[in-house]
Amino acid sequence: MAALVIKSAVFVPQGISTRNMATLKEIRLRLRSVKNIQKITKSMKMVSASKYNRAERELKPAKAYGLGASAFYNRAEITQDETKPNHLLVAMSSDRGLCGGIHSSICKAIKADVAEKPADVDVKIACIGDKSRLILQRVFSDKMLFHVSNIGKKPSTFGDAANIANAIVESGFEFDVGKLYYNRFKSVVSFQTTTVPVFTVDAISNSDKISIYDDVDSEVLQNYCEFSLVNLVYFTLKEGACSELSARMTAMEAASKNAGEMIDKLTLKYNRTRQAVITRELIEIISGAAAL
Amino acid sequence: MVAAWRQAGMSYIQYSSLCARLLRRALKPDAQAKAMKKEETFSKVNVWKDGKPEKKD
Repeated sequence: MAALVIKSAVFVPQGISTRNMATLKEIRLRLRSVKNIQKITKSMKMVSASKYNRAERELKPAKAYGLGASAFYNRAEITQDETKPNHLLVAMSSDRGLCGGIHSSICKAIKADVAEKPADVDVKIACIGDKSRLILQRVFSDKMLFHVSNIGKKPSTFGDAANIANAIVESGFEFDVGKLYYNRFKSVVSFQTTTVPVFTVDAISNSDKISIYDDVDSEVLQNYCEFSLVNLVYFTLKEGACSELSARMTAMEAASKNAGEMIDKLTLKYNRTRQAVITRELIEIISGAAAL
Repeated sequence: MVAAWRQAGMSYIQYSSLCARLLRRALKPDAQAKAMKKEETFSKVNVWKDGKPEKKD
């Protein structure tokens, strides 16, 4: 791990004088840039607020997909044998940043999970969305199975979920234990990084209680298994999108508030400096006149 | 008996989305416009090999 720590050089801004030496012009420029930043964060907040409303509306019907698939497995009491050697972890994030700890909390959970696994376990990781890929590829580039980009710019469709699920099925990695990591939407201000298990046909057919379902042959089971994977992916995509947008909303609100505080401070400083400059000039003029 | 589409190497995901596509094509024009919106996908899958993403060109 030590080799992976990136040394960052200390950034020294050039041409900016120290605090008390700040000239009027410098403060004015800084003030203007902070005001612009505030404008940007404010409009980003508005945009994500309206997107969030849509995402929340879409989340409600999408929940049925996830709950339905999970209910099938829960009823049959299918469990995953963690001791088996092939594990698949899927990070359900997105492409876009500026939304607080959404992506990093998923990646943190995966890192912690991988660290706990015994050495003989073969772990593969699939990244949905560029953000998780950027974080995880530095540490687990040898474990990466595939990544999916272009997630989160527009609301994900069922077709996207089918794409992802198909990539999991087609990847050829025969996992024994599968998990989707996603951020469960709790409320506008909070989300919870959760996992949802993905079962294989073997795990289902080897379960003792599968007989509670009538008329299930292996082919139907495999079809359902693939279909429920799409459902779960769709559900987690929607949950993730909803919590991401709400997190971005809160993050941007905080950023706008901080920018406002900074603007207040800078305005005060600007006015003080202006007054100081005027006073100094007056003294110069008066003393110059007195010297004549 | 194994279904014909599985023999052709398709997964149920591909098969069902193909069926959905065909169904959308068969809809009446006014219903079709609405249904076609759901067909859009944006995501791109990039497979990794030996610790690097495989270029798809």
